[in-house]
Amino acid sequence: MSRRDLLVEIGTEELPPLSLLELSTAFAEGVGNGLTAVQLKHGRVLPYATPRRLAVHVKGVSEQQPDQEISRRGPPVSAAFDANGAPTRAALAFAESCGTDVPGLKRVQEPKGEFLFFTGRKPGTAARDLLLGIVQRALDALPIARRMRWGDGDAEFVRPVHWVVFLFGNEVIPGRILEVETGNVTRGHRFHAPKPLRISSPGSYAGALQKRGYVVGDFATRRQMIREGVQRVAAEAGGDALLSDKLLDEVTALVEWPVPLAGHFEPRFLELPREVLVATLQDHQRYFPVESQGRLLPAFVAVSNIESRDPAQVRGGNERVVRPRLSDAAFFFDVDRKRPLAERVPELSRVTFQARLGSLGDKTGRVRELASELAGRIGGDAALASRAAELAKCDLLTAMVGEFPELQGTMGRYYALHDREPDEVAAAIAEHYLPRFAGDALPATTIGLAVSIADKIDTITGIFAVDQKPSGTKDPFGLRRAALGVLRMLIERKIDLSLPDFLKAAHDRIRADIARSDAGGSNKPPPEATAVVSSVYDYVMERLRAYYLEGNGGFTVTTEMFDAVLANKPASPVDFDARLRALSEFLKLDAAASLASANKRIANILKKAGTLPEGRAQAELFKHDRERDLSARLDSLGVEANRQFAGREYTEGLRTLAGLREPVDRFFDEVMVMDEDAAVRANRLRLLGSVRNAFLEVADLSRLPGQA
Amino acid sequence: MPKKQPATAPRTFQDLVFALQRYWSDRGCVILQPYDMPMGAGTFHTGTFLRAIGPERWSAAYVQPSRRPTDGRYGENPFRLQHYYQFQVVIKPSPPDILDLYVDSLRALGLDPLVHDIRFVEDNWESPTLGAWGLGWEVWLNGMEITQFTYFQQAGGLECRPVTGEITYGLERLAMYLQGVESIYDIVWTDGPLGRVMYGDVFHQNEAEQSKYNFEMADVAWLLQQFDAHERACRQLLEANLPLPAYEQVLGASHTFNLLDARRAISVTERQRYILRVRTLARAVAEAYYASREALGFPMAESQPAASVPA
Repeated sequence: MSRRDLLVEIGTEELPPLSLLELSTAFAEGVGNGLTAVQLKHGRVLPYATPRRLAVHVKGVSEQQPDQEISRRGPPVSAAFDANGAPTRAALAFAESCGTDVPGLKRVQEPKGEFLFFTGRKPGTAARDLLLGIVQRALDALPIARRMRWGDGDAEFVRPVHWVVFLFGNEVIPGRILEVETGNVTRGHRFHAPKPLRISSPGSYAGALQKRGYVVGDFATRRQMIREGVQRVAAEAGGDALLSDKLLDEVTALVEWPVPLAGHFEPRFLELPREVLVATLQDHQRYFPVESQGRLLPAFVAVSNIESRDPAQVRGGNERVVRPRLSDAAFFFDVDRKRPLAERVPELSRVTFQARLGSLGDKTGRVRELASELAGRIGGDAALASRAAELAKCDLLTAMVGEFPELQGTMGRYYALHDREPDEVAAAIAEHYLPRFAGDALPATTIGLAVSIADKIDTITGIFAVDQKPSGTKDPFGLRRAALGVLRMLIERKIDLSLPDFLKAAHDRIRADIARSDAGGSNKPPPEATAVVSSVYDYVMERLRAYYLEGNGGFTVTTEMFDAVLANKPASPVDFDARLRALSEFLKLDAAASLASANKRIANILKKAGTLPEGRAQAELFKHDRERDLSARLDSLGVEANRQFAGREYTEGLRTLAGLREPVDRFFDEVMVMDEDAAVRANRLRLLGSVRNAFLEVADLSRLPGQA
Repeated sequence: MPKKQPATAPRTFQDLVFALQRYWSDRGCVILQPYDMPMGAGTFHTGTFLRAIGPERWSAAYVQPSRRPTDGRYGENPFRLQHYYQFQVVIKPSPPDILDLYVDSLRALGLDPLVHDIRFVEDNWESPTLGAWGLGWEVWLNGMEITQFTYFQQAGGLECRPVTGEITYGLERLAMYLQGVESIYDIVWTDGPLGRVMYGDVFHQNEAEQSKYNFEMADVAWLLQQFDAHERACRQLLEANLPLPAYEQVLGASHTFNLLDARRAISVTERQRYILRVRTLARAVAEAYYASREALGFPMAESQPAASVPA
């Protein structure tokens, strides 16, 4: 069958740089999947993305769908013909809907009876009649956070749409997309090539854009050009460019025709902390900083979008923007260092953390106590932890952090060192914000860990105590991130901490502060500690579930495995982790599936039986050898397993209990649990209860899928 | 199409205003004067906020003095002011070539886009107090933000249909760039037969004194009463079906709130409540204004026949 290339280009006003790649990928996938879904064979799908266009070039798309075999079931024969054998209305209607008459239908015998059937061949549709719908659906499904309207139209898209190129081979697929007539005319660069640019065929698209349009359409190509160009210009300026992938992506999404050029700033600004310079150049201005042997140079590389007739103007303009920003920063740095951080502690009381949880000063007081207590338990110096917690939020009151909020913690470290605070304190001030995002580093120091955990636990517990827990996508205090951070620190740094105990300790302090804020007010009293602790525990466990299901534990975890361990509500996430790992190992054993089934069966039997009789099974009530075998085996293995469990050797303990497989299987094969004699029956239930309890020490195996 | 030659750059601050007024007047905009009440931005002018509501057509351009009490620096910072000027353009419905019109306005200021690197960088706008939001860009001129560009999607909680395109030039920034000066106060305001007058001559004392008022002197207790009084008056005026006077009470409440903010008299959590109170008023006014225009039969909804305009 003959094939043609497909090209669709949506020409827009400037698209959001941070979502351009995601939009482009989704558009290409949407078109590719759309073709596949209607059985249009095709070759490679090539996405193009620039600030002013999203395009997809698909190679070798079939011109025609294959013919389709159709098989439709109609009414049962019993209802299709009346007593005289004449077709009923149901039969006639079915035949008509299939485009045939009743004699044209077949009869097929099925388990439920005999039915009328239509079988036929539906000729495939021409691709050109399907393409518009495929593109439309791909556009409708794009992950656009907020769609907008423009002018007086009803179309909604990321940004206003100006043209649509829609070519199937050399032929324009006619139609309207986002209220724009499709055609074969694109536009080049907004300033270098504003005139309409005709595209003769999909294969010539990228070349035409580049040669006549001053547009490098392919994202990866443009990104590579920028990387090389920026490096070249940085080398001319005497250094290496600091090339963050994130900034490269963003800059690539901001230009169609990248022209890198170097700018300079006054060397005196190099006295500023490196992070301040990088934040100014990279985050605020999208410039690439330049460094030599690990030290920044007074230079940067900007990537402009034009081949300027007078590049000095572009360079000079960009330098003009940097100068006031850096002089602001230098001014802040000087002013801030005139007052030690410690002098700012009282001012924390003037900043509200949360109306009922009090000020940042109140929070600082709580975190100091929690952090010093925790530090003492994990081998850190309690006094240093207390000091670090006391100063941790003070940089929020400095001018620099007011201007560069992203430097919170970092500036605290610089200022603490300037104030001659101990190195551990300075490091912990910076580290207590870690981890800031998924995959971010954890605090490297013990004091940093203690303050970070204490700060996050105080926030989570406090927000739950005032009933502001996150709902849906609303999480203004970042509790999800905080909870995940705490879990990562506990598990990955092996800090064996009872979460409920620590939450209770946090809550005791919070409760006192809430009571003070609420005094004389009309707020209902805060809930009891037990209620808060248990809801925070449950919340944190749900984050833990996500942590494992997303593979962060380093081994495969299913939600059933997680639930099996959660059934015991382990207090310490480190203990939770050990149990889950043991369970994962256990499931690799031959005996696992059978024992999981047995646990499930026992759980069902016990549930049906209602209340389990007290006590252990008694030997004199055993009637069957298999009961005695199982009981004896349980006695010997149970003791060993319990010893291992007590030492948290869960893997070994479960391996021990795996020895129960055979006696359990044989018990179920040969023994009828529900004996007529009530005493015997109760005794058997007790025995099964003991088997189940043995496993329950680690996890509830009945929650796992057993043998089919 | 004849090739557009960039004009020569306006030499003075007032020439810059004249050039923009001339340009947008030639494109058919109503040239309005500033609204005579304190406000935080040109968006608060009835010529933008209220005109963005409803089906009627509208296009206007005007200078609006903008008051941002917290941005005051006692006249000591070369880049920040508590009182500065915006040049605002609104066109409704936003025409398809609105970005080209904007770029042409830069050409009219002598800024050739083949010399200067002009970029549209995503920057979405939201005004919590006005219950308004839109999508658009900040416009970069060689890396410097000179303009905010927004397609209004909602105003006063009402969907904008049709959509208003809003262009907001930062006049001081543009003037500093065009004149090549490093401080706002060094901008030449005018240079004629009666001598040269600088921006600092006109406004420096005002910055110093108003900063002191905003940060140190403004009477918090009185401002709190004023805020309540504006809120009360707004409700009464709405009951009397007078959306335009009611809107002026919103402006009063909003500016009073900004002053209280500068005095740090409002805690972070209270802040949200005050913003919500202003937004509630703004929404009620928006609805009343819509109803009042509807009662008039939306007189400007019909497409006006375009007079011939020199391009």
